[in-house]
Amino acid sequence: MDNLGIFLQIMFWGLYAGCIYILLATGLNLIFGVMKIVNFAHGEFLMIGAYITATVFLLTGINPYVILLLSMLALVGIGAIIERLCFRPILGTGKLNEIFLSIGLIYIFQNGAAMIWGDAWQSVKSPYDGITIPVGSLNVPLDYIIIIAFTAAILIALYIFLNRTRIGMEMRATSQNRKGAMLVGIDVERIDVISFGLGCALAAAAGTLWVVSGQVFNPYMGSIPAVKAFAIIILGGLGSIPGAIIGGLLMGLAENGAAYFLGGIWKDAVSFIILIVVLIVRPTGLFGDKGE
Amino acid sequence: MNFQRKDLTTYGLVAALVLAAALPFLSDSMFLLNLAVLMLISIIFASAWNLLAYSGQGSLGHAAFFSIGAYASTMIALQSGFSPFITIFIGAAVAAVIGILIGLTCVRLKEWFLAMVTFGFAIIVQTLTVSVFAPFTGGWDGIASPRLVSPSIPGYQLIEYYAILFITIATLAAIWYIMKSRIGLAFLAIRENELEARAAGVDPVRYRLIAFGISAYLAGVAGALQIHHIGYLTPELYGVDNSFWPITFVILGGLGTLAGPVVGTVVLTFIWEGLKMTGLTFGRYVIVGFILILTIIFLPKGLVNLPEKFRTWREGRRGAGGGLKKE
Repeated sequence: MDNLGIFLQIMFWGLYAGCIYILLATGLNLIFGVMKIVNFAHGEFLMIGAYITATVFLLTGINPYVILLLSMLALVGIGAIIERLCFRPILGTGKLNEIFLSIGLIYIFQNGAAMIWGDAWQSVKSPYDGITIPVGSLNVPLDYIIIIAFTAAILIALYIFLNRTRIGMEMRATSQNRKGAMLVGIDVERIDVISFGLGCALAAAAGTLWVVSGQVFNPYMGSIPAVKAFAIIILGGLGSIPGAIIGGLLMGLAENGAAYFLGGIWKDAVSFIILIVVLIVRPTGLFGDKGE
Repeated sequence: MNFQRKDLTTYGLVAALVLAAALPFLSDSMFLLNLAVLMLISIIFASAWNLLAYSGQGSLGHAAFFSIGAYASTMIALQSGFSPFITIFIGAAVAAVIGILIGLTCVRLKEWFLAMVTFGFAIIVQTLTVSVFAPFTGGWDGIASPRLVSPSIPGYQLIEYYAILFITIATLAAIWYIMKSRIGLAFLAIRENELEARAAGVDPVRYRLIAFGISAYLAGVAGALQIHHIGYLTPELYGVDNSFWPITFVILGGLGTLAGPVVGTVVLTFIWEGLKMTGLTFGRYVIVGFILILTIIFLPKGLVNLPEKFRTWREGRRGAGGGLKKE
C-alpha cells in the first residue's frame, strides 16, 4: 500500500476510535458541567452497556444497532441509581472523596460483571460483518461508517436536546450557575440525576458501538478508555462539548498513528504522554481557562 | 471505665508491638508468617500513599513507584551482587527521584488532574518496562529476584520477618516524626488552604515535592521488600489493582492519620483472607468495593475514628437521660 493509503487507513481507524472517545468524553463533560464531580468509574458504564447489547443480541438476534437504544435506556436507570445512592451523599465533601468513591464503584462493577458474564475476552459478529465500501483507495467496513454516522446523530440529538428542550436548558443553567438556577426555581437535584443518567447513556452508546465493531471486550475493558476520556476533556477544556469532539478525534488519530509507527504496545501509553506534556505546558488544559 | 484517648492510643500501640514481636511464637503456621510479612509490606505501602494524601495529593498510580523500587533494587542487586538489604534503599532512591520528577509535573495541578497523571504514569512505565527496557527486565515474563535472606540459612523466614518488622516500625516512626515536624504542619496547611499557607510563608511547590519524594521512596522500599520476599518480579506489579489497594487500606483505616493505614491494612487483609475461605473470587472484590463506598459515606474518618464516634454516641445518650436520642 502506498503512503497515502496508509495515511487514510490511520485516519479512518482514528476517526472510528475517536467516535467512542467522543461519546465517553461528552458524557463525562455533561456530568462534570452540571455536578462538578469526577467519576473515574465512567468506563464501567461503557462496559455494562457493551455487555447489555452483546447479551440481548446473542439472546434475540435483533440488529445490535437497534439494541443501542435499549442499552442507553438501561444505563439511564443505572446511572440515576448510582447518582442517588453514591454521589449525592458525598457531594461537596471534596474532589478526593469522589475519586475514592469511584474506585469502589470500579471494584463493584468490574467484578460484578465478571461474576455474571465471566472474565474472558469475548466478541460478537455484526450482521454487516465483512461488507466493505470503497472510499478512495480504501475498503472501509460498513460498520465503521454506520458507527461514525450514529455518533454524529447522537451528538446532533444531544445538541438539540440541550438547546431546544426545557430540561436541556435547565441543565445548561445549572452548569453555568448552580445557585442561580436554584433561585429561579430549577430543581437542581433532579437535574443532577438526569445529567448523570444521560452521561451514562452516552457511555452505553460508546460500549454498544465498541461491541458491534467486532472489538473484543471483557469486564475490565472500561478503565483505560475512561481515563483517556478524562485526558480528552482536559485537552479539550472542561465542560466544552466541541472541545471534547476535537480532543476525541485528535486522541483517536494520535493513538492509531503511534500504534502503527511505534507498535501496538504504545497505544495506551501515548495518550498519557500527550496528556502529561500538555499539562506541563498548560496546567489548565489546551482550551480550558476557567478551570475547576 | 474512664479511658482517655491518650491511654487508649498507648495501650493499643504497646499491644500491637507485643503482638507483632510475639507472632512467630504464637503459631507455627508458615502461611500465617507469610501473611504477616505481606501485611507489613502493605502497611509501608499504604503509609507511603497516606503521607502523600496528607499533603492533599491523591495518587492513583502508586504502583509505579512500588514497581520502580522493586525493579531498580533487583537490577542493582543482580548487577553489583550487593545484598538486597542494601539495594532496597538504593532502589527506593531511584523511585524517589522519579517521584520528584512526576511531582514536578503535578505540583501545579488540581486534585483530579494529578490523579490522572499518576494513573497514566503507571501505564507509561509499564509500557516502557515491557518494550524499551525488556532486555533488562525480561519483558512480560519477568525475572527472578534475589531473596532478602537466602533460603539456605536455617530459620530464614524468621530473620526475614523480624527484618521487615523492624523496617516497618522505623518507617512508621519516621512518618510520625514528619507529621509532627514543621514539614508535616506545612503539608497540612497546603492541604487545608493553599492560599493562606502561601500567605504564611509556606512554599507549596517545595513541600509538595518533598511529600512526593518521601512517599515515592517509601513506596519503593515496600515494592523492593515484597519482590525480594517473593523472589520473582513481573510487570503485572504496575497494575491498577496494585495502585488501588493502598487507597482502600487507608480509606478504611482513616485518611491522614498515622494509625489509619495500619488498622485498615490489618482489618482488610483478614476480611480478604476470610473471604478467600468462602471460595469467592470476583465476589471478594465486590465486597471490598462496598466496604470502600460505605466507609466513605458513613465513616469518612475511617475505623480509627470509631472510639470517638462511640464516645459521642454514649455521651449523647447520657445527655438525653439514658433514653435513645434520635439525631
